[in-house]
Amino acid sequence: MPERERALQSLQSTPRDVGPTADDLLTLVARGDEAAFERLYDVVSGSVFGLIRRVVRDQAQSEEVFQEVMLEVWRTATRFDAERGSANAWILTLTHRRAVDRVRSAQAATHREDRAARLDPGRPFDEVSEQVDGKLEQRQVRRCLSFLTDLQRESVLLAYYQGYSYPEVASLLGIPLGTVKTRMRDGLIRLRDCMGVTG
Amino acid sequence: MRTTSADLHTLTGAYAVNALSDTERAAFEAHLGGCGSCSQEVAELAATAARLGAAVESPPPPQLRARVLAAAAETRQVSPHVPKIADRRRLRWAGGLLAAACLAAVVVVTVQNVETSDERRLAQLSSEYSRFSDLLSTPDAKLISGTAPNGATGTAVVSASRDEALFLAKNLPQPADGKTYQLWLIGADGERSAGLVVPGSGPSVVTGLAGTERVALTVEPAGGSEKPTTVPVMSMSIV
Ligand SMILES: [Zn+2]
Repeated sequence: MPERERALQSLQSTPRDVGPTADDLLTLVARGDEAAFERLYDVVSGSVFGLIRRVVRDQAQSEEVFQEVMLEVWRTATRFDAERGSANAWILTLTHRRAVDRVRSAQAATHREDRAARLDPGRPFDEVSEQVDGKLEQRQVRRCLSFLTDLQRESVLLAYYQGYSYPEVASLLGIPLGTVKTRMRDGLIRLRDCMGVTG
Repeated sequence: MRTTSADLHTLTGAYAVNALSDTERAAFEAHLGGCGSCSQEVAELAATAARLGAAVESPPPPQLRARVLAAAAETRQVSPHVPKIADRRRLRWAGGLLAAACLAAVVVVTVQNVETSDERRLAQLSSEYSRFSDLLSTPDAKLISGTAPNGATGTAVVSASRDEALFLAKNLPQPADGKTYQLWLIGADGERSAGLVVPGSGPSVVTGLAGTERVALTVEPAGGSEKPTTVPVMSMSIV
């Protein structure tokens, strides 16, 4: 596993230098290549599960969503278009949508209200900060997050890691609905420019 | 009721972190089809958000690996082609949805039983929002939405340059026997009826907005009233 983690790390930072990239693998998966799917699983399962776990929290539900997402990656790899973005971005976008769908489902609603009431808005960043020591990818995320204003950072992180809708974020932060939408956009734009993401 | 109004082009961030309601998400996706700069920005911001995801890595329980691989071996992959949809307006909506680059695949769901309801939802949305898409692509289109205390939501798309608006209410409870919902345009000159609203039906199209400040929905006797006779169940500012 540590070896795989190292491979993942280098895949993320210098995608062209090591073996097949997630993009190469996903392209093979689109042709029904099960061996490529197995390798892709090893490359992306850590970030897929980590993100689901972060948003959904509950271990059993996270495992369910994880299996659904991985199977969806397999099923819909045929729709991946490498010209429109990286495989990692495609997979994690799908992952986030599914994780958020899960926490928004009626079943989870009451649970989440309690959570929202308890939540200290400062927490998500602190959690990231604790976790992000060490790895290059995480250090860069942390560094770039530090360039955001507090409201930008909190708006982005509450929505992304907690799966809150913008009205929920607005109510947690005590700011108008219109403000939270622009803070999310401004914050992500600042992150994009800092990370050099090209889409 | 809490309402919110936005220049559609500023919703890229909230969309990229999945912070929009289902209705707003669908409306914004319809807008993406006709707005190249938003499509581009969404792709970039979604990729940026994905980096936040990659930063919270945590390995899944090892036993899931064999399970996922076995399930994949028994699962047919979707066709690489965009499904054919006969209705032109639906096709345009589907195009708008697919323009959300990396999000295209999310309309197809993994688990069989989920798939059915999701496909039904997509079909329903596509017929509803094809009516929105023209209006959504006007440069000054504004998206306004609100949630009433009973959980009903109202969404309006307003274009001042076209002097036109669309209004859609969701999760409206059925009115009592002998009652109906009626939509009103309200301005300094008073209220003007914009027609009856049947729960679960498509959007209402409203033209001639001059002087209109709010749209409101009231419960009226069957057949509707000349002027509103009850307190609105929903009221949204459109200016
Ligand atoms: Zn736009």
